[in-house]
Amino acid sequence: MRTSEHIILSAGEKARRKAFGLLGRAFLFTVTSVAAMAVLAILFFIARDAWPFFSDRGVGDFFFSKAWYPAHQPPQFGAAAIFAGSLLVTGAAVVLAVPPGVFAALCMSDILPFNVRQVLKPVIEMLAAIPSVAYGFFALVVLAPLLQESGGRVLAAAWWVLALPALFLASVVAADLLTPGRLSHAAHRLARTLLTLCFLSLSLALLAHVGRVLGGLQVASGVNALTASVILGVMALPTIVSVSEDALQAAGRELREGSYALGATRAETLVKVVFPAALSGVFSAVLLGVMRALGETMVVWMASGNAAQIPKPWYNLLQPVRTLTATIAGDMGEADQMTGSAHYHVLFAMGLCLLLFSFTCNLAGEWIVTRQRKRLRGG
Amino acid sequence: MRMTTRKLLDRAFTAAACFAVGLMVLFLLFVLGPIFGKGAGAYVFTGTVEHRRMMIDQFGRGDEARVAAEWAGAQQARRPIYDALAAFEKELPQLPAAKRKALKPAFKAVREGVAVLLGPEPGEPLPALTRKMYGQTRWEKVQAKVTDILFEETWDYSEGAGKKVLVPRQPMFEGTALAPLFPLLQTDLTALLRPRLTFYPGFLTDVSVDAHFFGGIGPELLGTIYLALGALLLAVPFGIIAAVYFQEYAKEGAVLTFLRTCVNTLAGVPSVVFGLFGLAFFINTMHVSPGKSVLAGALTLALLVLPTVIRSSEEAIAAVPRSYKEGAMALGAGQWHTVLTVILPAALPGILTGIVISMGRAAGETAPIIFTAAVSVGKLVNPAELLTQPTPALSWNLYNLCTEHEAVDEIRHVQYGMAATLVLIVLVLNLTAILIRARVARRLKG
Amino acid sequence: MRVSLLVAGLVAGCAVAQAQDKLVLDGSTTVGPIAKAFAESYMRQNPGVNITVSESGSGNGAKALLNGTCDIADLSRDLKDTERKAMAEKGVKPVAHVVAYDALPVLVHPSNKVKGLTIDQLRGIFTGKIKNWSEVGGSDLAIVVISRDTNSGTFETFKDMVLGHEAKIVESAEYTGSNGGIRQRVQMTKGAIGYAGLGFVDKSVKALEVNGIAPSAETALDKSYPIARPLFMFTNGEPAAESLAAKFIGMSRTEKGREIIEEIGFVPVPAKK
Repeated sequence: MRTSEHIILSAGEKARRKAFGLLGRAFLFTVTSVAAMAVLAILFFIARDAWPFFSDRGVGDFFFSKAWYPAHQPPQFGAAAIFAGSLLVTGAAVVLAVPPGVFAALCMSDILPFNVRQVLKPVIEMLAAIPSVAYGFFALVVLAPLLQESGGRVLAAAWWVLALPALFLASVVAADLLTPGRLSHAAHRLARTLLTLCFLSLSLALLAHVGRVLGGLQVASGVNALTASVILGVMALPTIVSVSEDALQAAGRELREGSYALGATRAETLVKVVFPAALSGVFSAVLLGVMRALGETMVVWMASGNAAQIPKPWYNLLQPVRTLTATIAGDMGEADQMTGSAHYHVLFAMGLCLLLFSFTCNLAGEWIVTRQRKRLRGG
Repeated sequence: MRMTTRKLLDRAFTAAACFAVGLMVLFLLFVLGPIFGKGAGAYVFTGTVEHRRMMIDQFGRGDEARVAAEWAGAQQARRPIYDALAAFEKELPQLPAAKRKALKPAFKAVREGVAVLLGPEPGEPLPALTRKMYGQTRWEKVQAKVTDILFEETWDYSEGAGKKVLVPRQPMFEGTALAPLFPLLQTDLTALLRPRLTFYPGFLTDVSVDAHFFGGIGPELLGTIYLALGALLLAVPFGIIAAVYFQEYAKEGAVLTFLRTCVNTLAGVPSVVFGLFGLAFFINTMHVSPGKSVLAGALTLALLVLPTVIRSSEEAIAAVPRSYKEGAMALGAGQWHTVLTVILPAALPGILTGIVISMGRAAGETAPIIFTAAVSVGKLVNPAELLTQPTPALSWNLYNLCTEHEAVDEIRHVQYGMAATLVLIVLVLNLTAILIRARVARRLKG
Repeated sequence: MRVSLLVAGLVAGCAVAQAQDKLVLDGSTTVGPIAKAFAESYMRQNPGVNITVSESGSGNGAKALLNGTCDIADLSRDLKDTERKAMAEKGVKPVAHVVAYDALPVLVHPSNKVKGLTIDQLRGIFTGKIKNWSEVGGSDLAIVVISRDTNSGTFETFKDMVLGHEAKIVESAEYTGSNGGIRQRVQMTKGAIGYAGLGFVDKSVKALEVNGIAPSAETALDKSYPIARPLFMFTNGEPAAESLAAKFIGMSRTEKGREIIEEIGFVPVPAKK
């Protein structure tokens, strides 16, 4: 009896429930909007405090002058060198992180058996979980002294480990490709061996020469762009790996099986078929990596040297640089906040630039992913 | 291309891919190795009698009678050293002027070195700084301090770049009353300092004494816990509600796309910008507290972890089988009722995963709390003062200790201990999340 | 009536107690060690007291004093005119208390054979005109200039006393947030030159003679060493005689306080004659 009453609702009860539902929905919507709008609030408040700087001093000097003398009388706020420092460190980190990141993603998605992958995945995630200040501590206390004491030798060793197999492989492949095809079997073999040896000795010479140059390098200061980039690269790696891996997985089984059926090896399948199909996903992974590296503060503050200069030559990673994030973190404590000085506002201006850049990256990444998803669904 | 070359390339490719994964694992070990290896040294080390004496004086911990006996024994062993110092001090005025002039600074250095090694001489007034009231408390540092006494560090500039030269002091004092001191320091160190394996769990909870020379990281740990819990307390309700809205209520359309984009963008905001925002909004505009405070820090961190909470809760809700919901609806439950009694409980482990990961993130972040919550020295914060009081925190104080402290090298073990504790907290939280996730996956499969 | 009086009295009592047992310090990383050691010593003797010390820089200390978020601002330089003006507008009356003196030794790696520099040579190095140690009598090694962050009090003192008003520090200079950081960088780097407080000199770095005078407590006090300065604690108005702030700052004149200052490596204020 009672249950039937409950199932068949009276008109009043129905209306009451409906009103309740609407109210609840409105509540949910409001809370969600507040949470989502936080990002707009951030944009607003950063821009509000950045505005006085731009309106007083314009944008020209800020973006194009290298003279960063905030404490000089009169102060100069040319942030070009700082922007360059951020770009250099981020760029180097991405260059260092993308090849191993993509290779690792390929390994995870196509080479390792499922069980091993299940174990490795959390291990790689750990790299991203370690707090940045711990990385900074590591860079300052372990990596920087190592680089300073025996930087040349470390770089030379890294060069040998990476370049020896690569050049060996390149020699073999080049010899194979360049051997004329019309020779008899024995002659062909001889020619190929000779060519291989020739390339090998050439590449050994190159290896030894570069190795010697690197080995002789004196690292004047262990906290420099390279130290910061290496750590930033490591911090960006897990993001790059996991997002690329998702993209590679999403490329689908049929594609792979088709390629194998045509007689391609696994490497050929992955490089020529799967990777191009997943390219946009990999690209958005790289974008996320860039954002991670650019926005990182503690590591660059502790390990980049904080010199407001553009290295000479610009690619000299062994010189100290200064980044946007480190400048904000380091200068805010000293900036004369009470008079609303230009130095206070210029830090917000830098924050605004960081914010706008990360917005752009984010939207671009999202756009790429959506497009890819649509295409996959459509295809 | 020949088949063999193709095969070679294929193998090389596999090798390179595995190498990349191996490289990451190696680097993880390369980072964690020193941090945990040396970090353990803050908890387990070979402590001297000076350490035990300090623990009794400063923290009232330890077996007083036993340490007193040990201390008496050590003093007994040290007596000849103090006697030699006193005897030489008397002898010094009688030495020929040239020799006196040469030996005086060396004697001063030896005497200071002995004070560093063994603490102030008996009968001397107690120094004002706690760090000078005791000798070396950690055995691994003793050898270096002994070397400082036995040798004078000079630099030889004759060949361009200077080379460090250790000049032994013993020959200088040959034939004086100080001569017996040197062999004592070379043979009898254990009797002087009584090293013993020491387990110091109090490092985790003790307050620091004299700018982290002694004691532990209690206030920092507590600050980190307050900040992380506070951030979650603020972020979780918002996060779950937003996730429910996105998954169960929202209709596809421009508004939803916009809100989603906002959340995704929030996830990409650099952490230092959160700090700037916390300063500009919570402190300078809203005046949630007069200056830095736990509250301002927790609010800032809450914003930082919000996207993670939303995303993981969404995933968890989306993973709840459709049939659960349909079943509930079929039984006549309203949407509200279904969400509260069926969907959320089923999604709880997944939501918990996100919460735990966010907690790790909030505990480890530094940049957002620099301007909003962190101070370099402070007591354990009383819960009643959370709204107004700033706090030390592991992350910020690790930065502070390894870059700003006046004796960076003397307290390396504290820095390592702090780093290890912070990393351990974060990794344990992440591991918990992984375990929960694995259990959920198994349950969904089964 | 009586009850309300009692309540009022209680409230007032609480308020006073509140003000009496809490002290917030903010400011310079140079003065930080003194403030921290004082705080620790004071809290040890008076267990009910809570003193927090932030080392967020001289500029931040001044700001905190202006906003009333700290009771004592540690500064390694005097207040700037802009800061004084802002304080005057807000009704804050900064009172300077000199707690110690500090010389700024110029630090190099101990393997560096240069023994001393003149102010002119220093200016040349820090403005980038001199780039190699061989130009000032050292071996052939590139000079790595290491400086404190550009608006720390230490930087401003050094800049005023060595570089002068017009000169700008070389753009390749590395910046470090603290004196401890400077020493750490110098002891790690063979070609480095930096400057830090007197308390930061130990055997891992070499302090140069400047104009032939070695930095020490004596040469700082008699002003023969050219780069020396007083260290300040600022309060808003003269603190009341028995207040916590007054007692805290007063420690710098007590025997124990002077001993602490000396042991941390600064020069205590000479006893009044």
